[in-house]
Amino acid sequence: MLLRTVLIRLLTTAITLFGVAVVVFTLVRVAPGNPIAMMLPPGATEQDIANLTALYGFDKSLPHQFVIWLSGVVQGDFGTSITLRRPVSELVLSRLPATLELSVMALFIAVALGGFVAVLGARRRNSATEVGLDLSSGAVLSIPDFLWGLIFVLLFGVLWPVLSISGRIDPRIEFDFTTNYYVLEGLLRGRFDVVGSTLGHMLMPAMSLALPLAAMIAQLLKQNLKEELLKDYTTLTRVRGFTETAVILREALRNAALPTLALVGVQFTFLIGGTVIVERLFAYEGLGNMAIDAVINRDLPLIQGIVMLFAALFIVINLAVDLSYTLLNPRLRHG
Amino acid sequence: MSQQTQHRHALEIINLSIALPNGVRLLRDVSLKLEPGEVRALVGESGAGKSMIGKTVLGILPDTLKITQGEIILEGQHLNMMTPWTRRKTVAEITALIPQDPLTALNPLRKIGPQIVDPLIRIRGWEKDRARARALELLERVHIRAPERVMQSYPHELSGGMRQRILIAAAFAPSPRLIVADEPTTALDVTVQKEILKLIRELQKETGTAVLFVTHDMGVVAKISQQVTVLFAGKVMEDAPTREVFTNPAHPYTRALIAATPSSADLDRPFSPVPTELIAELHAQVARDDALWQGKKR
Ligand SMILES: Nc1ncnc2c1ncn2[C@@H]1O[C@H](COP(=O)(O)OP(=O)(O)OP(=O)(O)O)[C@@H](O)[C@H]1O
Ligand SMILES: [Mg+2]
Repeated sequence: MLLRTVLIRLLTTAITLFGVAVVVFTLVRVAPGNPIAMMLPPGATEQDIANLTALYGFDKSLPHQFVIWLSGVVQGDFGTSITLRRPVSELVLSRLPATLELSVMALFIAVALGGFVAVLGARRRNSATEVGLDLSSGAVLSIPDFLWGLIFVLLFGVLWPVLSISGRIDPRIEFDFTTNYYVLEGLLRGRFDVVGSTLGHMLMPAMSLALPLAAMIAQLLKQNLKEELLKDYTTLTRVRGFTETAVILREALRNAALPTLALVGVQFTFLIGGTVIVERLFAYEGLGNMAIDAVINRDLPLIQGIVMLFAALFIVINLAVDLSYTLLNPRLRHG
Repeated sequence: MSQQTQHRHALEIINLSIALPNGVRLLRDVSLKLEPGEVRALVGESGAGKSMIGKTVLGILPDTLKITQGEIILEGQHLNMMTPWTRRKTVAEITALIPQDPLTALNPLRKIGPQIVDPLIRIRGWEKDRARARALELLERVHIRAPERVMQSYPHELSGGMRQRILIAAAFAPSPRLIVADEPTTALDVTVQKEILKLIRELQKETGTAVLFVTHDMGVVAKISQQVTVLFAGKVMEDAPTREVFTNPAHPYTRALIAATPSSADLDRPFSPVPTELIAELHAQVARDDALWQGKKR
């Protein structure tokens, strides 16, 4: 039973990744713009162009190119970046930590903020406070992440410049990283200046990504909490002398969080998608920023590599959500 | 003052009125008394305000509803004059609730054991071992086989009847002096209903707990209660000993309710629902009273 589930899951994963590969591969080649022409200085000869085209294999038919690329991928070789002249896998993996740290921080903020507002709204249900919170989260939700980015840049970068608006860490800090997980490594090695500076640089982009998701969590979780708070098991807890806040936190929250979890999973993948523009806005050296450069330069192997990594990431996240859903729900755990 | 020391009721409700924010009254001047060890049935059609009385007694009325007048007195203590904190403590100390729907009355994400044991530790301040022993004792008393295993189960693994027995065990476990049972058998199969009713009656007799038993079924009233309060549109129609109500009902609505209960009186008599004309007339009466009351207020 379990084995079957796992097998099906692996198979769908493989099919999804293959589908993504085919689509991206075709799209980037059909789209206008010639990567070779962009690499060469003006006045390059026909021969130069032909040579380079052959070097990167762009002279072959599309299916043929795909087969070559796929056989490389199977061996862990995602090709070489045209603009950066380095293996795509190396480039992409070096940028992944920055994006992961940013996304996870954004997720933390969204869950903490959204959770707090939801609990507060449920605690003060049917009052002016609830209406106020509903209106605010509605307003927050209507502004997309990149606009929040612009607002933050204007507020805390220009009007009241307290936060750095670009980069990932203060360049004056001396620290030789062995990984690209700045926050994690700083924490593990006890360098809190590194952690502080990195978090400071992440704060605005992370907030931009987090706010819409926080508003979504606030709305959905509050709704679910209110439903749970009408059920008899919460009534019983009240009769047993628990305060309303205790009833919410001890009894209702876990039940209300389950349906919210599915949304958070899906929305987290959207949030990661949002890093592409937000990283650009804050000149944050992550995958998204690299993706935009790759697209501008028509760096086909790099685009493919980044898209495949994003796709794999989304699949892993969905898997993690499904798994935790099963683990948290005794009805599924035993069934 | 001397009244209180002379004789302390388990519960006393005096002239209770509850209204919506717009002033519409849901309870109208309700009074009732419950002596220690007594079972009082609270009977009436759906929407009569039975659960609302139960909630008021337990101090869990929704914030949107306001007590416009009246007293709720638990063992001589005035509930509606207390701070929320004291009220919670007092209610938890004296009362317990057997809810209507066993399917939603247990937290689906927590095991049965802690759901019975934790309140005992919290309300009574018992040691964990003592609370556990008490929970096991009560589970056995309500005929749960393999109580140890059941304590380790999640609610979804148990049948509705079993869950209701667990909830009865949980209600009696802290030895409350007043139990509010809000239609505890309505959500169950007919066969299970009988069994649950019997269990509540037995445990009530053994422990001497006072019970406010909410129901809309006169058959159940006859089986379980010594006293009856008949409620219509938030108003008390009749308040009398159960025996008297069945032999000599004073109010036409009570008579109609008894007639509408197939199992109550002689089985040969055909089933006759409460006549709509009577209901309409009673509603008109309530409306007239309300108008009068509004006039008095002005
Ligand atoms: N929170 C609330 N806000 C507004 N009206 C309410 C609220 N709770 C109950 N009511 C109304 O108060 C009246 C009495 O409700 P209550 O639940 O006490 O009825 P009941 O006698 O228990 O009926 P049932 O047999 O259906 O349980 C009903 O008309 C109901 O619509
Ligand atoms: Mg009710």
